[in-house]
Amino acid sequence: MAEIRTEEMLMNVGPQHPSTHGVLRLVVKLDGETIVDVDPVVGYLHRGTEKLAEDLQYTQIIPYTDRMDYLAAMLNNYALVHAVEEAMELQIPERAEYLRVIVMELNRIASHLLFIGAYLLDLGAMSPFLYVFQDRERILQLFNEICGARITYNYMRIGGVKWDAPPGWIEKVQQFVPHMRESIKMLHDLITGNEIFLNRVKGIGAYDAETAIAYSLSGINLRCTGYKWDLRRNRPYSIYDRFDFEIPVGKNGDCFDRYILHLEEMEQSLRIVEQACGQIPEGPVMGKVPKILRPPAGEYYSGIEGARGELGVYFVSDGKDKPYRLKFRRPSFVNLQLLPSLLKGQNMANLIAILGAVDIVLGEVDC
Amino acid sequence: MFGFLKGLAVTISRLPKKKVTLQYPEVKPEWPERFRGIHEFIPERCIVCNQCARICPTSCISLSGTRGEDRKLRIDTYDINFEICILCDLCTEVCPTEAIKMTGEFELAAYSRDQLYKNMEWLYQNYLRHSGAKELEAGTGETGGPGEAGVGAAAGGGAASEQKAGGTDE
Repeated sequence: MAEIRTEEMLMNVGPQHPSTHGVLRLVVKLDGETIVDVDPVVGYLHRGTEKLAEDLQYTQIIPYTDRMDYLAAMLNNYALVHAVEEAMELQIPERAEYLRVIVMELNRIASHLLFIGAYLLDLGAMSPFLYVFQDRERILQLFNEICGARITYNYMRIGGVKWDAPPGWIEKVQQFVPHMRESIKMLHDLITGNEIFLNRVKGIGAYDAETAIAYSLSGINLRCTGYKWDLRRNRPYSIYDRFDFEIPVGKNGDCFDRYILHLEEMEQSLRIVEQACGQIPEGPVMGKVPKILRPPAGEYYSGIEGARGELGVYFVSDGKDKPYRLKFRRPSFVNLQLLPSLLKGQNMANLIAILGAVDIVLGEVDC
Repeated sequence: MFGFLKGLAVTISRLPKKKVTLQYPEVKPEWPERFRGIHEFIPERCIVCNQCARICPTSCISLSGTRGEDRKLRIDTYDINFEICILCDLCTEVCPTEAIKMTGEFELAAYSRDQLYKNMEWLYQNYLRHSGAKELEAGTGETGGPGEAGVGAAAGGGAASEQKAGGTDE
């Protein structure tokens, strides 16, 4: 029998593809079912936030940050206001700091919930997606009450927060915590033991800590390799040094570790929320800030632990009320860089499993 | 096999639970008080300080006013372009007289782009539909007693400014 001639095939996954979580395009070079090369094409959602920010006052940039990582907008809000506050050395009232921590950790939970739902949807399981949305809905409802929006919060201000918590809000959060713990248990029952799921994720897409650091990964993508690095602990900001929580780490650096760390981090976030709700003092929510914000001339960088990794804001001020240059270090974008080397030699069916576990948000990749 | 069945048990235990889906167009969601929906505008309260137009990150507000005989500034036109408005609430935050506020209204879909330009009259009508109606019910309305008087005043104001504009043309 004559030998069958084979050739490589180019295939586009995306930009309109449900499993790329937005508008990411992967140009995949295939040899049969095996991936030879992957070239991620980003930029379909680029809005030029950094350039727009050069023409905006610092307060006006806050609503734009909502639209970067639209699953964890509170953390984005905080990254910006924190950078400006550090630069201007402003004093933030205690209550405002506590409110910020509560909403940030709730937002982290909401973001991780959506990761789990969307990831399982990628792997072909429909029901977890519907279950996690019920819990996420409760968090969004809480946010809607405190800041009047469900996704684009625009809640934080330089020097504090926009609104104090409405009456009874803290109690509602306290009631939510045990409910969420139950839900996490339910998710473990539903997903973690499932053999089909385990076969899809165990040992898939593994890398070691050295590779992760070489690619400057952060967040769960770094911690899944066993490297303990969380900015809330290693470089404490806000009032995180007052809370008792652990940094869960994985050990194999595969997709399963990344999945399980999301669940474990949610539990730790719940612990922080619980402690913050118990400790929150009365008082003002807005500090004394000048009407026009003019950070002294210089370069500033501040990074926080976002839902996906180190979310940094670097800006250059020339002493005016608008930044000379503003740069967001978006964890999704940085974490995505590992993807091509991770996918080489893999089976085509694993592409979605590996891409999903990186947990990217395209609003943040393209900024 | 055991883990798989455990998951199935969760699914089955969920079957008799109450549905959480909202049948949207038939059933409207209930928004909290702070919900940031489409704006409402109360012309009588506006002092034409221009702060809302300046703070707007997308520059979607344009307004103009004239100085009346009593040296007070009066708003003439007030337009919001909802094509680019991002409902960030900064305009209501800076407004010193609460002339511009946000309502629970959120349905903005339109058949043409032009329809998304909302003028002062539309925004005032939106006020009457939302806060105005509530304030009248509670008897704390800015315009005092009857709603008709308020509408009349605003409409009259609009007519007057039109007349004035007509006058300058002649």
